[in-house]
Amino acid sequence: MKTETMLGTLLVMGLAAGPLAAGSGRDARAILDKVDDLYRSRSSHARMVMRVVTEHWSRELTMEAWTKGKEKSLVRILAPKKEKGMATLKVGNDIWNWLPKVKRVMKVPSSMMSDSWMGSHFTNDDMVKESRMADDYDFQVTFSGERRGKQVVEITCIPKPQAPVEWGQVVVLVEDGSWLPLLMTYYDEDGELARTFTFSAVKKMGGRTIPTEMRIVPANKPGEYTLVRYQDIEFDVELPDDMFSLRRLRR
Amino acid sequence: MLTVRLAWRNLWRNRRRTVITVAAVALNTAVLIASYGLMDGMVVDTVHNITYLTVGDAQAHAPGYRREHSLYQDLQDPQALLAAADRAGIGAAPRAYGFGLVSSGSKSAGARFWGVVPARELQAFELARQLRQGRFLDEVSLPAGKRPVVLGNKLARSLHATVGSELVAVVQAVDGSLGNELFTVVGVLKTAGEDIDRTAAIIRHDDFAELFVSGGRVHEIAFNARGRLTPEQVVTLLQPAAAGAELLTWKKILPQLADMVQLFDAVIWIFGLIFMLAAALGVVNTLLMSTFERIHEFGVLKALGAGPLRIVRDVAAEAFLLALLSTLIGVAVGVVATVYLQHHGIDLSGLGGDITFGGVAFNPIWRATLTARIVWVPVVSMWLVCVLAALYPAAKAARLNVVRALTHV
Repeated sequence: MKTETMLGTLLVMGLAAGPLAAGSGRDARAILDKVDDLYRSRSSHARMVMRVVTEHWSRELTMEAWTKGKEKSLVRILAPKKEKGMATLKVGNDIWNWLPKVKRVMKVPSSMMSDSWMGSHFTNDDMVKESRMADDYDFQVTFSGERRGKQVVEITCIPKPQAPVEWGQVVVLVEDGSWLPLLMTYYDEDGELARTFTFSAVKKMGGRTIPTEMRIVPANKPGEYTLVRYQDIEFDVELPDDMFSLRRLRR
Repeated sequence: MLTVRLAWRNLWRNRRRTVITVAAVALNTAVLIASYGLMDGMVVDTVHNITYLTVGDAQAHAPGYRREHSLYQDLQDPQALLAAADRAGIGAAPRAYGFGLVSSGSKSAGARFWGVVPARELQAFELARQLRQGRFLDEVSLPAGKRPVVLGNKLARSLHATVGSELVAVVQAVDGSLGNELFTVVGVLKTAGEDIDRTAAIIRHDDFAELFVSGGRVHEIAFNARGRLTPEQVVTLLQPAAAGAELLTWKKILPQLADMVQLFDAVIWIFGLIFMLAAALGVVNTLLMSTFERIHEFGVLKALGAGPLRIVRDVAAEAFLLALLSTLIGVAVGVVATVYLQHHGIDLSGLGGDITFGGVAFNPIWRATLTARIVWVPVVSMWLVCVLAALYPAAKAARLNVVRALTHV
């Protein structure tokens, strides 16, 4: 889901999880929609820990995140101390950062959208994209059966010609039956491996059974990764609209 | 000695002819010197524009830095290099570089931060003086706690920032944390090349170290000997202090510009050669005519028993004496003209706006330079042209039989 990218998937919401079409257990579209909708809801409130490991440093950020609809999200950093209070507000395609140390809001310019978000392996673009895989890609089931002791279904997605997608191909691996994602592999337009997302630690949280850990590994930086772990998530909570305003961001 | 005295006396036997010839040769010499001065000036200016602004004669980096521009590839021992440069009297400016985001009001843009030591920049390079607006970092006193920044002019324009504007900087620090800081714009640079114009946010090295949590890290030291040493000499001199660093002349750092300068130099000297040929033709013409006029006279000399060699020797001496006198006058006039062009130059700014090429801004005033080669090349060439131009008719006269020469009109 270049499209429904990670934090995207994690934070952005949408329709309630769509049930798989009856009788089409291996219907690729239904599976992709299910993956897209896994973390979506009318609104959500979560606490998570993001661990970023790079060649030169590694660090852990504790964050609190709120989402409302597909359009709006707000992430506030709780720890470490240096970044405490920093916040990112996303409304539609725009991102603003609140910098408590200097008490200023800074809009992320469009030229920086493909840069790292908060030093992680997510890009700012990952934060704002909200389209659905089934709309942007042509897809088909390319494998079905046992792999590493699990019954899995593999769906290969190739972007439609006009889709605003920077990847050449995305391969989604889900567990047969639960349809929870296990692995998503992104290839660039030259067919080279670009990054992989691994989903794990499936738990019941906020009334849903979801993978509560996701690891993103960039292919061109061996040894580096970003791991996001949900500590707590609630779906369909009541959130005031002005929660996602610049005025509140400056709070 | 007798030959010289005879030649001197001969020259002034036909005062008018000699004065015309001397004037022609002197004028050509002067024009050649002044135009070579301008051409050389253009090459020198190009190199100056490339090296004096920020690049210098040579630079030191950690190996690989120039390719990856990573915050983590810093020089191992910048102090040793700075100390060596100071001992040798070579200007040296240490710089740390890092990328980040700057914003002013509702505008934001990506920027490349330069952490510089203002005193060293001022002493070794010209960038710190090339301000369109305001002052350089340490030349302003800001209230305590305010940090100064100087911006490239296109960056300032896209941020709608002017002197006095407040700027927010957000960067990823060396330890992965997010550094952010407020700065006050104290200056905006003149056009200095595309990269600097669009991305440079120049701050003090101390502020850089705090913003990027980078301590004493230095990514580049630029050396400028200000013409006292060649770039190659600078590298040789500093090499012992550059253990583990990559120390290169500007020609290796900016190979396209070095090639351009070399090509430019060649083209200019081809033009110089054409000028020279045109001048030589004028001089040859004058000398041929004045020697042909004297064939009758050579016939008389022959009739009195002078051998052919003697005639050729006398004519050559005369021509050389004439060339010596003319070039002396020519050098005086040419050098005065060149010095004038060196100080006042020719203002090309009327041709339109800022001149940049290959990412380097060029001075719109075209100045000459006075070097040895722009004097000796025209002078020696004129000597050769004069002597050869006189020898041809003289040799012809020397071979003529006496009767034909005497009756030659």
